[in-house]
Amino acid sequence: MGLGLTLLPLAAFDPATLPGQLVYGILIGSIYALVALGYTMVYGILKLINFAHGEVFMLGAYVALFISWALGYTPEEMQRAPMPSSLMVLGLMLVGSMVVCGLVGVLIEFMAYRPMRNQPRISALITAIGVSLLLQYGGALFLPVSPPPVIREEANPVQGSLRVWIQKPPEPLLGQYTEAEREFEQAKDAHKNEQYKIRTNGTTEEKLAALSDKLAAARTRYSDLERQIQPKSIRLILPHGLLVMAGTSLVLMLFLRWLVMKTKIGRGMRAVSQDFDSAALMGVNVNTVVFTTFLIGSALAGAGAMMYALFQGLTISTFFGVAPGLKGFVAAVVGGIGNIPGAVLGGLIMGVAEALVIWSGLDMFKDAFGFVILIIVLLILPKGLLGSNKVEKV
Amino acid sequence: MTSKTSSKISLLAALAAAAVLFGCKPAETGTAGGGGSGSGSGSGETKSARAMPTVEGPKVEGDTIKLGLVASLNGASKPWGEDCKSGAQLAVDEANAAGGINGKKIELMIEDSNSQPQDGRVATQKLVSEGALCVLGEVASGITRPMTDVTYAAGVPQVAIGATAVDLTQKYANIFRVCYNDDFQGPVMAKFAYDELKLRNVAVMTDNKLPYSQGLSASFKAAFEKLGGKIASEEFYEQGNAQFTGQITNLKSKNPDGIFLSGYFNEVGPIAKQLRQNSVNVPLFGGDGWDSTELINSGGDAIVGGYFCNHYTSTEDRPEVKDFLAKWKAKYGGEPGTTMGALTFDAANLVIQALKNCKELTAKELIAQIDQTENFKGVTGTITLKGQNGDPLKSALVVKVTRTGFDFAKSYSPEELK
Amino acid sequence: MRFWLVRLASVAVVLVGCFLLQQWAAASLTPYLQSLVFLAGGYVALAVSLNLINGITGQFSIGHAAFYMIGAYTTAFLTATFFKAQPLDSTAWVVLMVVAGSVVAGIAGLVVGLPSLRLRGDYLAIVTLGFGEIIRIVVQNVKALGGSFGIDCRVEPAPPSIMLMWLLAILTIAICRNLLKSAHGLPFLAVREDEIASSAMGVQVTKVKVTAFVVGSMLAGAAGAIYAPFQVFITPLNFDMYQSFIVLTMVVMGGTGSVTGSAIAGLLLYLLPEYLRLMKQPGTSKAISIGGPAVAAGLVGVIVLVWLLRVVQAKVVGSKWQRWAGNLGALAATALLVYLGSLALHGVPFLRSRNYTMAELRMAIFALVLIALMLLRPAGIMGHHEFSWDGIGKRLRRRTSGAKA
Repeated sequence: MGLGLTLLPLAAFDPATLPGQLVYGILIGSIYALVALGYTMVYGILKLINFAHGEVFMLGAYVALFISWALGYTPEEMQRAPMPSSLMVLGLMLVGSMVVCGLVGVLIEFMAYRPMRNQPRISALITAIGVSLLLQYGGALFLPVSPPPVIREEANPVQGSLRVWIQKPPEPLLGQYTEAEREFEQAKDAHKNEQYKIRTNGTTEEKLAALSDKLAAARTRYSDLERQIQPKSIRLILPHGLLVMAGTSLVLMLFLRWLVMKTKIGRGMRAVSQDFDSAALMGVNVNTVVFTTFLIGSALAGAGAMMYALFQGLTISTFFGVAPGLKGFVAAVVGGIGNIPGAVLGGLIMGVAEALVIWSGLDMFKDAFGFVILIIVLLILPKGLLGSNKVEKV
Repeated sequence: MTSKTSSKISLLAALAAAAVLFGCKPAETGTAGGGGSGSGSGSGETKSARAMPTVEGPKVEGDTIKLGLVASLNGASKPWGEDCKSGAQLAVDEANAAGGINGKKIELMIEDSNSQPQDGRVATQKLVSEGALCVLGEVASGITRPMTDVTYAAGVPQVAIGATAVDLTQKYANIFRVCYNDDFQGPVMAKFAYDELKLRNVAVMTDNKLPYSQGLSASFKAAFEKLGGKIASEEFYEQGNAQFTGQITNLKSKNPDGIFLSGYFNEVGPIAKQLRQNSVNVPLFGGDGWDSTELINSGGDAIVGGYFCNHYTSTEDRPEVKDFLAKWKAKYGGEPGTTMGALTFDAANLVIQALKNCKELTAKELIAQIDQTENFKGVTGTITLKGQNGDPLKSALVVKVTRTGFDFAKSYSPEELK
Repeated sequence: MRFWLVRLASVAVVLVGCFLLQQWAAASLTPYLQSLVFLAGGYVALAVSLNLINGITGQFSIGHAAFYMIGAYTTAFLTATFFKAQPLDSTAWVVLMVVAGSVVAGIAGLVVGLPSLRLRGDYLAIVTLGFGEIIRIVVQNVKALGGSFGIDCRVEPAPPSIMLMWLLAILTIAICRNLLKSAHGLPFLAVREDEIASSAMGVQVTKVKVTAFVVGSMLAGAAGAIYAPFQVFITPLNFDMYQSFIVLTMVVMGGTGSVTGSAIAGLLLYLLPEYLRLMKQPGTSKAISIGGPAVAAGLVGVIVLVWLLRVVQAKVVGSKWQRWAGNLGALAATALLVYLGSLALHGVPFLRSRNYTMAELRMAIFALVLIALMLLRPAGIMGHHEFSWDGIGKRLRRRTSGAKA
């Protein structure tokens, strides 16, 4: 081949890692789904691709960050002293992000989209792009680039991970391994606790150094055993953060489903999404419906952003929302934009597909593959997987 | 029907007429073609074949010396761009307060590259056309490379700040940099991993969107294999990704005894966290893209104990470092967020020193003087450019990440690697 | 006969004009201004060619940079491989590359255009967007194309790029204008207005859509082919989603479907951020520097101003003078608000400690102008209208006759 693709030996396709990859795919897909919900709701009602959704997401991460700062959770403070329980802080961050994002979404709708409602849809789309650029570039003038909010690790209820054996290693090794794992965790905790004491002069350098050596030894032993058992066993490790995110997405999706199907405002939403003008004529308060849609869609983005920032640990800048926004948008379209179960399905498919691409060793093409799937799906089902295939009439 | 044929014919006519115009071009350009063919696009090993600009560059008229800086003041690389701006301003203000150069003040002109190669090129052209005697920048290799064509064509020296791609300095004699290149950094980390960490089977994670990361991974892999080590696997991600569990699962199954992360700290932190979550406890190490005060905050405990190649650390005892940090704190408060603050400060000071040595203030003389730099005591180390074809002769530092900062681990001088 | 003379004359004028532009630019403009002239031409070509797909045919493509990129990378690859070993001089080579680039981009356009048979509106949009991303990621991973570092595309001696780009821009405008003025344009317009109805009336919808896609992509590919040697070194970053969005914005901002609108918007939107770069403190050569409070107040102020102007647009019905008085009032109120706001914000230490230069502010201002223009003129600068000498004449006549009455 003259092209010289930088393909490494396709040594992947390892059956032992397949179950893990699939589970990760589902978990990651559920995060895409959460973002996709916001796109799909707005599209369903206004037929507008809300390009600023990713930027609302970004603001959500900032709100969580500022709340954690306001509560004294700055990185420096975290070094200095143990902080009180984090569950309340997590809750505050979640609620704060949701409220602020919801309000920002409504404000954007009122200022930028409402005037465009009777205009060509493409003009509204450009306005959305403009709002997105303004939040990215204008926001960068004032907002800091910062690591995500931090929660002290041992006070963090979602720290750690769920570990499940699929295939256990042979017995003497398993015992040694479990022992080493426990010792490592203990050494880590002991070292960390001592480290916090150093700030209050409750410890000495020697004590800390001894613990540090112990930790290093435990780590080496654990790491060696880990590598020994690796070829002989399969173990699924599910970070709690991912599980919480996936669970939250599921709950929020069910809530949304209930809202749309069982409530009065939900009926209004369905009516408006079927025919905007007729719904208005039939006495649906269109403005209330649009308001609610933006409020809820943006609040969901806020919830997603807060968890995304906290559990994924990515540096927050005003471009924070671009990548997840794009993924979420693609997921929404794959599932059939405007369709709520479709968004979730699309997210899951995207997540699993990406996991399979990584599994096959082609991870350099991972981000392109989402789009390949999208194109394939749309070629077979032009309205996405669950989109309604209405026959268009003159 | 007429309109169809007419539009077709007018198209044809346009093409024909264009052909006539082109037809008369070769006579005029044929002679020039012979001379310029020497600097074609080869990225070969011919290090000494650096072309000196043929154009007579600008010279200083009046009593200000114009110094240009291209930095990413907008877009994804803004954190680096802001540090560049602050670092250069610090150096220039200091020089001006000390009386300038032979009574002439230095004017720093800062332009935005918007983290984009096209804008970076246009910004450089603007600086050059406004009479900049020297251009500093950029941080990213991908933006710096198109800039070099502009400064070469204008006969103006360019000092790149953080661009480590090997090719950058090989073509033109007016291009310099203050950082070491990938061909030095990669082998340093390979040697450190092989000799000090005793690693033999290393996995690599590369940020495929960054030329920096691709180049560094390539040079690391080559050097490590040359030493006798094995590359277990290479996994890829893109800037802005947040989820690396898939890649981690892959490389874990290859059972590496160390992992080389060649990306920027933004992603290195989360990767480290997710590696530890997945019970991968082998040593982590990487390049100078790790350097940031935010690394520990984004990587948490997971990144503590990692090693990376750096230009300096704020805990060093050298007077240059202490002096720089004190000045930075006095002017901006706090510490520079990334190494780019110090590297730009060095780049600007290096140029200012060269300016002081200039017999006449012309771009041509300045190129010669920068090329003569010997044992320049910078914050990021002692820099020698004389006889180095634009790449500085300076040591690399391997530092260890601790909870409170970076500790010195080992220093490699260029001779040690040969 | 007279018709042909006019045609030939206009072609000759364009050719001579572009040739003179090139000569003048090379002789008396700085490289910076040459770049601006060149890139402005490039954006005009891109915007007008996208307008053929989006505006005239009513399809929805938001990944135009992909075809631009394909043209540029085809050129770069061929140039890096073959340029030195072939006898053509640089101008002829670039013309050859324009052919090569546009053919490859046209094929890509066909590949993307075919799905457009089945897809409508936003679904098509996301496919084109995805196509752009796929191309970018593939290029990033192909070593022969330089990976993410980029590829050298030097053509020596430098070709007359400004002339070529402006010729292409005018050719693009001519194609679109002639299409709109001729009977051949009617099917395109019909497809834009209603696909199903036009197909019922016997329009070959498939052919029209694919033609639009292929021709639009070819023109973008040609622009890329001229762009690459001028830029000398290209990287995948030159062609990211941002570029696609900017070109799309130019089309909509100019007035969807209006060829002249796209061209004007292409010029304005490209030159605006560059003009902001050039702004100096009045009377000096110093860069403008604005304090944090003023910037914050200004950002809010523009939003308020747009809102007030919209109120005036909607509520003040009366003579032209009354409307202008309303607009001026809105402006004055905003100015006062910004002034008072920046005074009040001076109390915020976080803002007070900051200073911004135009280099930093320009992208934010660009976004604000974009939103403001969209809100105040949703149909774009030209709406559906075209610039024409007749139209100007009519308007003048109307004005004079109105004055008499």
